[in-house]
Amino acid sequence: MAVAQRYMGTKVWKYGIATLSVVLALVITQGLHPTLFPTPLFFAAILISTWFGGMGPGLFAVALATVLLDYFFISSRPGFALHPAALLYLGQFSLPALLSSWFVKKRREAEVALREARDQLELKVEQRTSELRRTNEQLESEINERRRAEEAFHKIQLDLAHLTRVMTLSELATSIAHEVNQPLAAIVTNGDACLRWLGSEPPNVERARDAVARIIHEGRRASEVVKRIRSLSQKATPHRAPLHINELVREMIALLESELARNSVRLKTQLEPDVPPVLGDRVQLQQVVLNLIVNGIEAMSGVKGRPREMQIRTEKLSGEQIQISVKDCGCGLDPEHADDLFEAFVTTKPGGLGMGLSISRTIVEAHGGKLRASRNPDFGATFQFVLPTVEANEA
Amino acid sequence: MSTSDPIVYVIDDDEAVRLAVKDLLESVGMRAETFASGSDFLRAPRADAPSCLILDIRLPGQSGLEFQRSLQAAQIEIPIVFITGHGDIPMTVQAMKAGAVDFLAKPFRDQELLDAIHRAVDRDRARRDAQAGVRELRGRYEELTPREREVMLLVVQGLLNKQIAAELGTSETTVKIHRGQVMRKMLAASLPDLVRMAERLGLPAQKY
Repeated sequence: MAVAQRYMGTKVWKYGIATLSVVLALVITQGLHPTLFPTPLFFAAILISTWFGGMGPGLFAVALATVLLDYFFISSRPGFALHPAALLYLGQFSLPALLSSWFVKKRREAEVALREARDQLELKVEQRTSELRRTNEQLESEINERRRAEEAFHKIQLDLAHLTRVMTLSELATSIAHEVNQPLAAIVTNGDACLRWLGSEPPNVERARDAVARIIHEGRRASEVVKRIRSLSQKATPHRAPLHINELVREMIALLESELARNSVRLKTQLEPDVPPVLGDRVQLQQVVLNLIVNGIEAMSGVKGRPREMQIRTEKLSGEQIQISVKDCGCGLDPEHADDLFEAFVTTKPGGLGMGLSISRTIVEAHGGKLRASRNPDFGATFQFVLPTVEANEA
Repeated sequence: MSTSDPIVYVIDDDEAVRLAVKDLLESVGMRAETFASGSDFLRAPRADAPSCLILDIRLPGQSGLEFQRSLQAAQIEIPIVFITGHGDIPMTVQAMKAGAVDFLAKPFRDQELLDAIHRAVDRDRARRDAQAGVRELRGRYEELTPREREVMLLVVQGLLNKQIAAELGTSETTVKIHRGQVMRKMLAASLPDLVRMAERLGLPAQKY
């Protein structure tokens, strides 16, 4: 078999097949003679030779078949001169040999062309596929890059918000220290009083107990203040939850109480009792409220000759929205800066970074709301923001 | 407790601090009244007793320092002990210059506060006594007849009886009698005593 494979396709092989098939046709024909007409098997042998070998081996088989036919069946005598009848056979054999060889050749050519076309198509498909893959990869990396950029931007925004929050807190340090110190002072004094009640003759246990109860109460109060400051100064990942805006506003007022007192600001609150909850990040929204109140206090720092009044309102609007407004009677809005009030780095304060309002607006908008500023008809400005309620978020 | 027992007024906007200070004062047997603001204090009736004021320097609306000034403007004389949440030196200086008895930073030691209160109350008591003395003196002075007042004025200005008689156009004997009446009615032991009384009453030392 290995030998057969080695020669397969070569000339020796092709002519071998031709010889073999013709000889086989002869042997079978001779065996079956005279029941079988002598030519059909030779036709078959010639077609086989042409099929496998092409025109050359085909014609060779024709010649061989003619000679053998002439020798064994027509002339019945040795010699190389062909009988005229054999020449007829030669013609008969040559025609199918030529036709089939031409047909085979065409077929082979068609096959080759088809194979080439197929190969080319495959190549093209492969090329296109790889091009597509490259484009895809590029697109993916661009998307990733964009996502990374967005994440970086988001992180910077968070950092900045945290930074300004801490800066605001540090500006308020004196007042906040006061907020912590008040309960501590009460604790110490209550403690002193308690010892004196116990030390009196006879000890006044009732009054001592009252004093201890107040100590506990004030301890809790101090820890509340600390908790509030800590949550504001922390750099926590944003977390949205339903929250009550009135509670949040009250917390910020409590934190700023002594800052308001220090600046002789009288605060009026109008918190609508059943404003629906909003979905938001507590610390971020606290920051907005804190910013607006501190801004208002600062805007009124130059006010003389009229009471420094601030009004904080919460109300439910139609369309599942709530509004929080902070109204001051301070220096008002400078028409020159009114348009770019919310831009970053725009500030009217000598020590200001110009981040407060810009960040507040970013926060409010990230919550699906809007922050606006308007001039009051008499004095000062009103800053108000609108937030969608929890129901609006669910819808 | 009698009405002349000292009373301490506490003004602090923080209720907890107010109550704690009141409790501390009560634990040492002192009377205390608390107010959330200066205006609340001004509206309330004040006892006729030696008193002092414990005043938070930071108050909403009107600061403690401003309230101190408005008390002075209204001629309400009451010694003030300031308390503050943070030791602010400029404010301390201002408060002390304006006559504060002491300035304590919260949280303060109870003894410090009590000592300051005692000093303040003592100061008020002295002022009240002085005022009471003047009031009594004025009552005596008002008992004098117009003529006796004229004589007293000239006596404390250092004029001799003879000169006074010439001044008033009467006899020396009459002046002597008036003079005796003045000394008796004013309860003056001697001439220098009378001169001091005249000073406290604010009579002019020189006629012209």
